[in-house]
Amino acid sequence: MSNFGQFYAEEEIIHVEKPEKREPLGILFWVCVGWIGLNIIGAIFANVLPLINPLTQNYNALNAGPSLHHLFGTDDLGRDIFSRVVYGSRISLSVGAGAMLIGFGVGAPLGMLAAYRRGRFDSILTNVMYVLLAFPAIIATIAILSFWTPRSLLKIIVVIGVASIPLVYRVIRTATLSVATKDYVIAAKVQGATDRRILFRELMPNVAPIAISFLLIGVATVIALEGALAFLGLSVLPPTPSWGNMINESRTILQQNPWLAVFPSLAMILFLLSLNFIGDRLRHHFDVTEVKL
Amino acid sequence: MSDEKSALLVVNELATTFATAGGPLPAVGGVSFELGYNETIGVVGESGSGKTVLARTIMGLQPRTNVTVTGSVLLEGHEMVGVSEEEKRALWGTEVAMIFQDPMTSLNPVQRVGKQIDELLRVRLHMPKAAAKARAIELLEMVGIPSPAERYHAYPGQLSGGMRQRVVIAIALAGSPKLLLADEPTTGLDVTIQAQILNLLDRLKEELAMSVVLITHDLGVVATRTSRIIVMYAGRVVEIGSTREVFGAHRMPYTRALLESSPKVTNDPHTRLVTIPGRPPNLLKLSEGCSFAPRCSYATDQCHKERPTLQPADEPGHAFACWHPLPKTRKRTVTT
Amino acid sequence: MLIAIVFVISVGSFYLIHLLPGNITTVIEGPGASPENQAKLFKLLGLNKPIYEQYFIWIGNVLRGNLGVSFISQTSVASTIGSALPIDLEIILLSQIIAFAFAIPLAMRSARKPDGWLDRILSATSFTLLSVPSFIIIVLLVLFVSVKLAIPHTGPSSYVSFGQDWIINLDSMALPAITLAAGSFVLYFRVLRSDLIATLQEEFITMARSKGISQRRILWRHALRPSSVALLGTAGVNIGGLLAGGFIVEYLLDIPGLGYTLIQAIDTSDYLLVQGIVLVVSVGVVLINFFFDFIINIIDPRISRE
Repeated sequence: MSNFGQFYAEEEIIHVEKPEKREPLGILFWVCVGWIGLNIIGAIFANVLPLINPLTQNYNALNAGPSLHHLFGTDDLGRDIFSRVVYGSRISLSVGAGAMLIGFGVGAPLGMLAAYRRGRFDSILTNVMYVLLAFPAIIATIAILSFWTPRSLLKIIVVIGVASIPLVYRVIRTATLSVATKDYVIAAKVQGATDRRILFRELMPNVAPIAISFLLIGVATVIALEGALAFLGLSVLPPTPSWGNMINESRTILQQNPWLAVFPSLAMILFLLSLNFIGDRLRHHFDVTEVKL
Repeated sequence: MSDEKSALLVVNELATTFATAGGPLPAVGGVSFELGYNETIGVVGESGSGKTVLARTIMGLQPRTNVTVTGSVLLEGHEMVGVSEEEKRALWGTEVAMIFQDPMTSLNPVQRVGKQIDELLRVRLHMPKAAAKARAIELLEMVGIPSPAERYHAYPGQLSGGMRQRVVIAIALAGSPKLLLADEPTTGLDVTIQAQILNLLDRLKEELAMSVVLITHDLGVVATRTSRIIVMYAGRVVEIGSTREVFGAHRMPYTRALLESSPKVTNDPHTRLVTIPGRPPNLLKLSEGCSFAPRCSYATDQCHKERPTLQPADEPGHAFACWHPLPKTRKRTVTT
Repeated sequence: MLIAIVFVISVGSFYLIHLLPGNITTVIEGPGASPENQAKLFKLLGLNKPIYEQYFIWIGNVLRGNLGVSFISQTSVASTIGSALPIDLEIILLSQIIAFAFAIPLAMRSARKPDGWLDRILSATSFTLLSVPSFIIIVLLVLFVSVKLAIPHTGPSSYVSFGQDWIINLDSMALPAITLAAGSFVLYFRVLRSDLIATLQEEFITMARSKGISQRRILWRHALRPSSVALLGTAGVNIGGLLAGGFIVEYLLDIPGLGYTLIQAIDTSDYLLVQGIVLVVSVGVVLINFFFDFIINIIDPRISRE
């Protein structure tokens, strides 16, 4: 048999079962992975890289455009935009990663357990979570962060992370539910596999693709959220650079210095785009139900 | 047999190839036949023999992308291959109609059945609303649906399988087509309903003077309802002739195997069901020789190397494609 | 169920505000207030009562339509919300009209010829837009519109309601509506497109084709309805989200909607107003979800029967 696939014998309408060759990830996928990697490296190793100090104000070059010395130009206080963007990635990435760590660390196991165990545990927990979900999380986040001074990165991460738990719970629970009702899981159960084994061998591998996809999208959303919070003055305070507050600062000087708006925006857009793209490709790659003729 | 001058449908070397990830797939390869007015022809074959693709290609309903169709299909002189969708659409519903295997999926689940019949009448025949509704109810009655006026408002999900298929037939006949392509119309139904639907079709085609192409894998279905039969295998015609000939004096071993494998009422109880050994071939990797050769007990070297072409048998109109045909004139009674 | 959710939300928002640090009396009296004055004010405001009692007093008032009178602005919370809410509703309405007006026809075109050039462009564009946060859209839009095209940008006091002067009103609404529309469009386009493509492969579509019906009619009459379920579900969630999250856009463009008001309220520790807004928004989101569930049921009776 070729590696093409088998026809459904009953229907000659060409229903092709998923070919053994999965839909390829594509070059663009790896480009995005590379970009993410680059950003991560930049964030981690920022202080050993040959960057101009992001806090240094160079009064000789205010609102300068891009040049060899200042790759992205300078802002209205003469600070180098390029290095600020690189340092700013630290904030965005740590918020993204940290918040999702909390969200998934708590939400995912709960979701899987609830979906698998069902019963009282599931109903109580799910109802609580759904009510929490109905609560406008953004408002709560804004309120909490504005009252909980002094500001710190950790607080932001914690608040956003905790706020994301109900959503993660719901997504993972739904995904696990659809997997748990599949025949092969029931078969495993009937064969006397222990819960633990089922969880690890059957459920997790099948929920994992959806989970990872959602994780990536979640990180993207959180990073965007941090940006929005920066606009409200609820993110890290200047002079610490973050993509969000840089874009915010740019608003008042749009006329004189478009670069302060453009470059951090570009950095954020490209990063989010890469995350979304990777998440999307992974979903297509692992999605057994989607078939292309 | 078919009279050249009064042929409703002329199919000539029709071939349908799908472009797939694994290469070109010749689902239908070089099929030719003619169908006159008021004639019923059966197309039989195993699953995967290409019969459904053939039906869709004749109609012109094949998918638009990744499909190549060659050959010619003349419907009352109108060419159907290689013409624009608009030209085909002009004939669909009013000259040729098709009914499909699964009535549940053929009907729009969120639209009332009456509306689905109405649509053709109003959009294509430009009937005013009230007249269309009246006609639709008439059609429902014609296909044997009780209380048609009420059923007009029903959703497909509220009807039983047999009723749904009747609705599908009503829709197909709404435009009074001269040709009906029936693709396994009873396969998805209960056995008791199957006979009802087939009898209904028989009656309707008489009343409406329609020709029918009846596609099925079930030989019992075609035995008494068709005047001619085409036997297909791996996308090609392997035998074609009058029903009597094909049942009683077939030459191609595959036809014989097909006939023998259908259970017969007259057999003794506990008779072993005869099956054809092996499986249908992978259409992506068709051999140079006869596609049936790997499973044929009569296969010779030539059979494996060279693909047989259709040769005429004794009776006019009867042809078969085989290098090692069964001997002529065997008397076999037709049993179903 | 609806009531239970709203109830819990009201409790939650109440406690949330009250658990936050910050003494309301200092705000009212000023930082230099004397302790006795603070205590007096405390008692006056009823803040010395146990929390649950305060809650019941508040909720009792709410149910009678009285959301309280803000200490800060001295105006009733209800009227503040009342004047701000319609603005949000207008922005949301406009943005959704724009979003749907583009999403539906474009999704249809795409579904007709998947992977055609139009489809590729649209899909790529929408995917990219998905990754652009709304505040960036605004900043960049402002950059082009205000700066490059030199169109002036006005503040909240210059906001004019629809009834008064609809031209100026639409003019100021345009930017926020377009921004929100962009995000919504992307979502709706993708969902509808993939649903349409799936529906178009169903057999009843082939059957409809075999009747000789035009492709256009098939798309609009036969394919759209079954495919709208996911779209409406997404719309419900999205609109709910816009109500709660469109604040940034408002705030940035100085439009005195709920978002702007809320942020101001938080800034000035006007907790009564914050509570009121949270309550109204939550109720609104829940209502919207219920509404859309209702519509979905009408469109596809199968769902209710399942």
